[in-house]
Amino acid sequence: MSYIELKNICKKYPNADRNSVTNFNLEINEKEFIAFVGPSGCGKSTTLRMIAGFEDITDGELYIDGKLMNQVLPRDRGIAMVFQNYALYPHMTVEKNISYGLKNMKVPAAEIEKKVDWAIDVLGLKEYRYRKPKNLSGGQRQRVALGRAIVKDSKVFLMDEPLSNLDAKLRVSMRNEISKLHRQLGSTTIYVTHDQVEAMTMADRIVIMKDGIVQQAGKPMELYEHPVNKFVAGFIGSPQMNFYNVKVIGNTVKFEGGAEMKLPESISERLKDSGGELILGIRGEDIKLESQNIELYADTKQSASVENTEVMGNENNLYFNFGGALTVARVSKYEISRPGDKIDFVFIPSKIHFFDKATEKCLF
Amino acid sequence: MSIKTRRILNIILAAVMIILSLFFLFPVVWMLANSFKGDAAITADMNTVSAFIPPVPGKGFFDNYVSIVTDTSFLRYMFNTLFYAAVLIILGIVVNGLAGYALAKIKFPFADKWLLIIMMLMIIPSETIITINFLFIAKMGLLNTVVGYVLPMIVNPFNIFLFRQVFVSLPDDVYEAAQLDRCGPVKYFFTMVLPMSKTVVATVSVFTFLNVWNDYLWPSLVFTSSDLLTAQIGLNSITSNDNTTMGQTLTVITLITIPVIIIYSLFSKQIVEGVVSTGSKEG
Amino acid sequence: MSKNKSNSILGMAFFGPALVLLTVFLFIPMVLTVIYSFTDYFALSPKNTHFVGFRNFVKIFGDELFVQSFLNTVKFVVIIVPLQCLGALGLALLINKVTYCKKYFKVAFFVPVVMSLAVVSTLWMQIYSPEGIINTILANLGIEAQPFIHSADQALPSIAVMSVWQGMGYQMIIFLGGLQAINPALYEAAEMDHASAWQKFRDITLPELKPLCVFVFITVTIGAFRMIVQPMVMTGGGPSNSTYTIVYDIYETGTVNWEIGLASAMAVVFVIFVIVLTVIQNILTKDKEEKK
Repeated sequence: MSYIELKNICKKYPNADRNSVTNFNLEINEKEFIAFVGPSGCGKSTTLRMIAGFEDITDGELYIDGKLMNQVLPRDRGIAMVFQNYALYPHMTVEKNISYGLKNMKVPAAEIEKKVDWAIDVLGLKEYRYRKPKNLSGGQRQRVALGRAIVKDSKVFLMDEPLSNLDAKLRVSMRNEISKLHRQLGSTTIYVTHDQVEAMTMADRIVIMKDGIVQQAGKPMELYEHPVNKFVAGFIGSPQMNFYNVKVIGNTVKFEGGAEMKLPESISERLKDSGGELILGIRGEDIKLESQNIELYADTKQSASVENTEVMGNENNLYFNFGGALTVARVSKYEISRPGDKIDFVFIPSKIHFFDKATEKCLF
Repeated sequence: MSIKTRRILNIILAAVMIILSLFFLFPVVWMLANSFKGDAAITADMNTVSAFIPPVPGKGFFDNYVSIVTDTSFLRYMFNTLFYAAVLIILGIVVNGLAGYALAKIKFPFADKWLLIIMMLMIIPSETIITINFLFIAKMGLLNTVVGYVLPMIVNPFNIFLFRQVFVSLPDDVYEAAQLDRCGPVKYFFTMVLPMSKTVVATVSVFTFLNVWNDYLWPSLVFTSSDLLTAQIGLNSITSNDNTTMGQTLTVITLITIPVIIIYSLFSKQIVEGVVSTGSKEG
Repeated sequence: MSKNKSNSILGMAFFGPALVLLTVFLFIPMVLTVIYSFTDYFALSPKNTHFVGFRNFVKIFGDELFVQSFLNTVKFVVIIVPLQCLGALGLALLINKVTYCKKYFKVAFFVPVVMSLAVVSTLWMQIYSPEGIINTILANLGIEAQPFIHSADQALPSIAVMSVWQGMGYQMIIFLGGLQAINPALYEAAEMDHASAWQKFRDITLPELKPLCVFVFITVTIGAFRMIVQPMVMTGGGPSNSTYTIVYDIYETGTVNWEIGLASAMAVVFVIFVIVLTVIQNILTKDKEEKK
């Protein structure tokens, strides 16, 4: 049975000419970690704030633990929230910040003490217990914000871009800590982020949104391997998937600029009714340069000259112009090419995606 | 110009400024020095530099002060004024602060229109409506009462505006976090908003104090009974008494000035900030 | 309950106390002032009040005392405004430049501001007295004693000078705030461009301070127009009404003679005057901002 249920949730701000969120449907299981991801303005934060109760739900129904929540005050929804800018009480010490909610809930002092001790211990804030937020670093503030959320024994955690103000290194370590906390506490978590890496690495399931509409919801690898449309394919994964406008005639793919590629029967068979004008997508790591792969997939062999190389350390990104688009291929670190070098490469046919040109829906 | 000549010029500038400031402050120095003297000494010293130097502490040094404190009700006037100031500071922060908060953060009908009206009210010189307010208070039978004096002084469009300007930049997510922590709006205002805005609270308090302490017209209309007079009006009644000596007059005005100087030296930062904010609201 | 509705209730609960007080002690008095200005309302016999049209307004402009108090007020403004504005600006520039004892200077020139008008007036009555400290110093310099506030010629300028002394520190602090808000990188860039001290002042300081100058000019002007306590304490408007001001006239007509109708008409004229000044200020400063 689902723990949180969103039924046709819509949000329309007064005086706005279109919905910020349209027909959001989702069932979230107990203890699940869900990430809402999408570009800014896609409605992910608005949806989270409707779940929290900070925004009125224009239309639709929200259930938490089987109870309709639309009219319930935020504080009575049994949720805890971590805010993007931490939202710590600036004039209170770390300890006071964490215990404030418990005090207001009239929890006995001894129990508050115990819980605060535990939270401070879990989050490694011992030395900062009596400091005020302005004397803490960004990461420490974020921990305090987490502490404030975890002491309340809430069944639901809402996190609104909690790591976006931290530097890259800290973000990685906090990512791990949040995942660890989630495993320890087992609370249902909804995590909003614009960073697909955070979503991929932390979430059990990802909900990807655009223009207020859910594009796809599913397990991270599901979204990665089987995106339902071009937007999801482009949004998930880094570097971005390469896209080409192509014409498919029989089992031949014609790229802009004249390049041609033969497809295996199994694929061209499925494109028969598609009308020919398509978008082809392939991820950088599915473009291969090694000779054994070129032999294996000789049908799709192409050549180009390298524009730029990014040395990442563990691997290299090669950029080259092909089929009317700047293409990126992720190759092993032993594959050393310089700008200007001629290269041969192949697409792994089974990893190619085709999208309808008009609807951008994935054909397979 | 070398760094060194620049430094010498700076020293010269400072020296000139010090002389300038002494000229500027001569009335205050004279007041202070002569508040310890009898009238004969004041006249005798007038022609020499000792006009600006207090007498050597000794017998009779505090005579003026002792006579003012024991023979007149001046001390009482001072305490009256302190009491009024305290009441008006507390009520002013609550009333104007709540209004400022509502205008800044609560989306209630016509909030922006109210703000506009408040800003327009800041222009109206209080002297022009003082007569009508006096008639009001008189009609309500509140002349010569603390309530009658305090009531029209509580609300202050400028303070509402000042509070609003500060509160508007408070982060909304702190309010949301507090809501999840079961802190209602009223509790939030008193335990979060005010402590988070200590500077503006201090600024408004200090200005309210100075305002009450230095106000002349309104208390002179409302109070006639000597039990309730403020220091400024008390000053009037003491100096208009023919038996009051020049030295005693200077003592009284020194006594009135001491609290504001103390307040100023303690809160000069808030005062300066308040003053600058009146200028920067235009910018 | 929807968010909107609860916000309306909460908003009015928070704003309510202020609104009630504003209404009773500001809105209603303002409206009444306008209404009374068209009547012959006399506070001692309020029952005999009649509508008199514009008669009060005609009357005050024909009233010798009001015209004189108007002219006196203008004289105050003409003396006070340039002295106080330029004095404040000059002090601010000096204090901004000076590197030693900066704090002391800020305090020293601000001290008179925190002293009350009544105190300052009482003090300067002593200082201006015929045997007072200034006349003593003048005598030592071989200059004959001046009557200051005891003569119809000198009383007004004497009070004006005192008011400048008392008020200048306030505007000085405003200017200092403005000076400190100027991005120091501008001066560093000018230094690299070989600008002289005068050029820096003319091309950076003045343009950056311009909106503040307008603000200070208008507030000092309005402040000078509101002059009442100083002449009230020092001269009672004399000698021979030479220091009687508009606001003083409004006050006495209302609270001493109880001619509320007449006083209201004066107040209306005065407020319109102040509003016009404020509007001018807003137009001037808005222009500046748009040009930026």
